Parts: sequence; structure tokens; C-alpha cells
Amino acid sequence: MLAKRIQPMVFQARRLYVELMFQVMGRALQAVSEVDEKVQNEARALPDGFLFEMMVMPAGSKLIVEHTGQGRFRYHGDKAPRPVDLSIQFKHIAHAFLVLSFQEKTSVAFANDRMLVDGDISYAVRMTRVLNRLESFILPKLVAKRAVKEYPADLHLPEKLISAARIYLKVATNFVETVRA
Amino acid sequence: MTNKYYEFFCPVKVIAGKAALEHIPYELTGMAAKRPMIVTDKGVRAAGLLEPVIAACEESGLEITTIYDDVPPDSSTTVVRDIAGIYRQEKCDSIIAVGGGSAIDTGKAVNILVSEGGDDIAKYSGAGVLKHPLKPFFVVPTTAGTGSEVTSVAVITDEAKGVKLPFTSSFLLPNAAIIDPRMTLTLPPHITAATAMDAMTHATEAFTCMAKNPLSDAYATAAIKKISQSLLQVMDNPKDSDGRLELAQASTMAGIAFSNSMVGLVHALGHSTGAICHLPHGLCMSLYLPYALEYNLETIREPLGELLLYLEGPEVFAATPASRRAEASISAIRKLRDALYKRCQLPRTLKETGKVTEAQLDHIAEMALDDGSIMFNPKEVTLEDARAVLRRAWA
Repeated sequence: MLAKRIQPMVFQARRLYVELMFQVMGRALQAVSEVDEKVQNEARALPDGFLFEMMVMPAGSKLIVEHTGQGRFRYHGDKAPRPVDLSIQFKHIAHAFLVLSFQEKTSVAFANDRMLVDGDISYAVRMTRVLNRLESFILPKLVAKRAVKEYPADLHLPEKLISAARIYLKVATNFVETVRA
Repeated sequence: MTNKYYEFFCPVKVIAGKAALEHIPYELTGMAAKRPMIVTDKGVRAAGLLEPVIAACEESGLEITTIYDDVPPDSSTTVVRDIAGIYRQEKCDSIIAVGGGSAIDTGKAVNILVSEGGDDIAKYSGAGVLKHPLKPFFVVPTTAGTGSEVTSVAVITDEAKGVKLPFTSSFLLPNAAIIDPRMTLTLPPHITAATAMDAMTHATEAFTCMAKNPLSDAYATAAIKKISQSLLQVMDNPKDSDGRLELAQASTMAGIAFSNSMVGLVHALGHSTGAICHLPHGLCMSLYLPYALEYNLETIREPLGELLLYLEGPEVFAATPASRRAEASISAIRKLRDALYKRCQLPRTLKETGKVTEAQLDHIAEMALDDGSIMFNPKEVTLEDARAVLRRAWA
């Protein structure tokens, strides 16, 4: 009985969590592309103006980032200025929650058919590497190991801490600017 | 509770064995199809492989309405549009693809156009674009390797844009796959070897990569057992129709396995090598298989060790300590490759192909990293890792 009563609240909390995580990830993608050379190198192969979307089917939360050139991303919130070039779609919010709460690795979610790719698969592979790199920076190593296929052996604590601090600072600044606007 | 989850789907009716072709008229009639079109290539026709298909239909009073026999090895949007035009002109109502990967992919793409309408196949490119079942579609494979008869994917080249268009939908799956040993009886030795190793790779990667699941595992292990037991027999006696049937069934089973659990590094490297150096796909699979398994070894030790049972049989499996079985599986694959090299000079290294230069290795590695298959490889592959595997595969 109690479980039935609190179920809507659990669903609501899950929805809010996924929405918040998309907002953090979108801003963090923009930030990591400003601080990390490896991410910039990955992103450079994407066409300028390339729009990437991550969303929950059928019309749930989403994040949209644009490759503005030279390996830099710009976060567009949940509104795309034009049709997106690549969309990674979670089939259900429960699957998005599993990934965004680091209970399931992104690669495992792909293998488990939790997500669909609409667009060029080679760009999806590239964006997955960017997401993995981002997660390796911003998550504590123990959590990051649950999120990525393999934690990068060459990512040592000083680099991780400095990069994470810069990314979080940029994310926080972006949040503040959004609120002010 | 474990997070383990999987999906498995294969609605293709498999019609396999002696006189399987003679079931085509019954199956077509069962779907109210009366005017089938055959899509094939010149090689298949020249080898006389269409004759038993046509005879089987005519004997049952079913006329083949038209035959298109000019599918190129790398099918294009123009070819697909032309075939769809002939289909409409001749008022056909079903398609029978007879051939290898290209003829089958072309048949799938033609089926999209004639079912959905229009002349521009490119607009149906991508995943999940198709929303309705297509026209009756039958596949008669003439090689034992690709597994295309049970996969929901087709790849067609857009010549104008110079890109390969992927089409993915469960509606692309044929209604039936007809596996008749007569269709592979005349395959030349090197194609028999390369295509069988393609199937071996499908099964091995399906069993060791990230999306493995209990159902695909069953198909993968059965396929490996059949190939291990029959390939060399067929190489020594090409007219062995029982052995040919075993290989053809193994190819279909491996196709069912990998289309439900995907593949990994071997395919990523193979796709890029094929694109850059124009080497046949099966050859690339045979070439890279042991090197990629060695690279993944510590991540796949347990499942790879299990495969020894199917590669070498129960005696060898029982006599090998559990801790050495994974290495023994790789040795078994190497042994098989050596035996194939002895029989038909199927290359075991990039150098042996004579068509790859060392200078191309970096480009192959870079392209492999962007291949969709790499996502399902159990171990994260960096550019340096891919280069290292290629260097090992060089000579």
C-alpha cells in the first residue's frame, strides 16, 4: 500500500534526476571541450555545426550540444536550433536512470539495447568516447569505473583533480548565467 | 538482482537440407505470391546456380517473372532503383535473392523501395525508419559465411555522395532462408575457406563480446562446432554435400548469433582494412581473429576457454587445464588457419596478403576506432592498442 502511494513520487524524483543530469552533462560537455585536448581532438572530426542530442523516448528530457568548430562544444539546453545530426535515444526513462546513476556503463547500455542511435554510427562511437572521457574526469575514480568500460590508465590524480575543478567551475558559472538570463 | 538484460529476435523461417529449394514454390504460394523476381549476380548465373532454383519453381507451376543478374560486388543506390523499376514494370509481387552478401543486401533494399514506394532509397537509410512489413522476401545464400540471410541490416553505396548507407530494421529480415547444399557445392577452395572463417569469427565474437546472451551463445557454440568438424573435410573433398550443408547451417547459426549479440575488434579492423585495402571481408576476419582474441584475452578468458570444447572436442577440452583453455582456443584457431594456408594459401598475416603496406596500418587503426563494432568489444581499444594489434598481424 505504502509502496503504491510513494511510487508517483519515486517516478517524479527519477524524472527530475535525469533532467538535472542532462543539464549537468550538457554544460560539462561544453566545459570539457574547453579544457581537455583529447576531447578537442575527438570533436575536431565532427563537422562544424554538428548537433548532438541525447534524449529519453518518446519525448522526455534531452540535452543538445553543438560542435562549433576546433573541437569546441556549445550546450543548447533541450532546444535544437535545427534538426539534429546524431541522436542517442534511451528507450525508457528507467534506462536513462540506470546509466546516469552509474548503475550501468554506457557501453553496456548499448550492448543491452537500452539505447538507439539515429545518425552516423561512427560519430556515435566518437561521442561515446567523449562522454567516457568526461565521466573519467568529473566522477570519483570508484564511481567512474562503474560508468566507463575502462578507466584511462594515463589519467593520474593531479590532472584529474585540476581538470575536474575547472570543469565544475565552468558548469557552475554556466548555471548561474542561465539563471540570470 | 543482476542488471543483466538481453534481447533476441529471429523470425526467419530456416528451410535447410536436401531438396530445400523445392520448398520455395510452397512457401511463396503460402504468402499469396505468384510473380517472383530473382535478384542475383553474373557469377551466380555463370556457375549455373540459378537453374535448380528456376527448375524447382517451374516444376510446381510457378513462373519466375523476371531475373536481374547484374548486381555488382558493391551494390549502389542506382542499381537498387533500376531493379525496383523492373520489379514494378513486370508487376512482380515478391523477391528471391540468390547470392552472397551483395545480392542479399540489394534484395533487401529493393524490397524497401517496392514496398514503401518512391525511387530514393537514401531516404529510408538509418535505424527504425521502416514501420510496416515489406513484400514477401526469400534468400538463397550461395556462400557459407556472411549470415546476411538472418540479419536485419543492409548496406548500399550512394555513388553520388560517395558514402555507404546503412539500413536497419527487423522488417528487412527475409520471410525464409533456404539453405541447400547444392548452392555451395561449387564454391572455390579459397572462398570456402574465407567465408567459413567469416562465420567462425561471427560466432567467436558473438560468444566473447559485450552483448553475448544465453540464446546467441547456443547458436554460436553450435556454429563453431560445425565449422571445426567440417571445414577441413570440405576443403579436402569439395563435393562433400553433407559437409557443405554443415558449413551453410553453421553460417546461418553464426549469423543469428552475431545479429543478436554483435561483434567486436576483429570486425572493426576488418571493416577498415576492407575499405582501405579492398581485401575480401572473410579473409580479413580469418587474418585478425587470433590477434584480436589475444588482445582481449584477459577480459574474455572464461568464455574463450569454454570455446575449446567446440573447437577441439571433449578429449582435448578435458585434457587441458582450465587455466590454459583460453590460450588453447587461440592455438586451435591458429592451427585451423595454418591448415587452410596449406590447402589454399589463405593469408594469415597482412604481409602474406601482398595487398597491404605497412604505411597503411595507421590509417586502418584510425578508421577502426570509429567503427560501430568497436563499441561492443569487451576491452576499450585505444589508437595505440589498435596499432599494436595491427603490428602483430603484420607478419
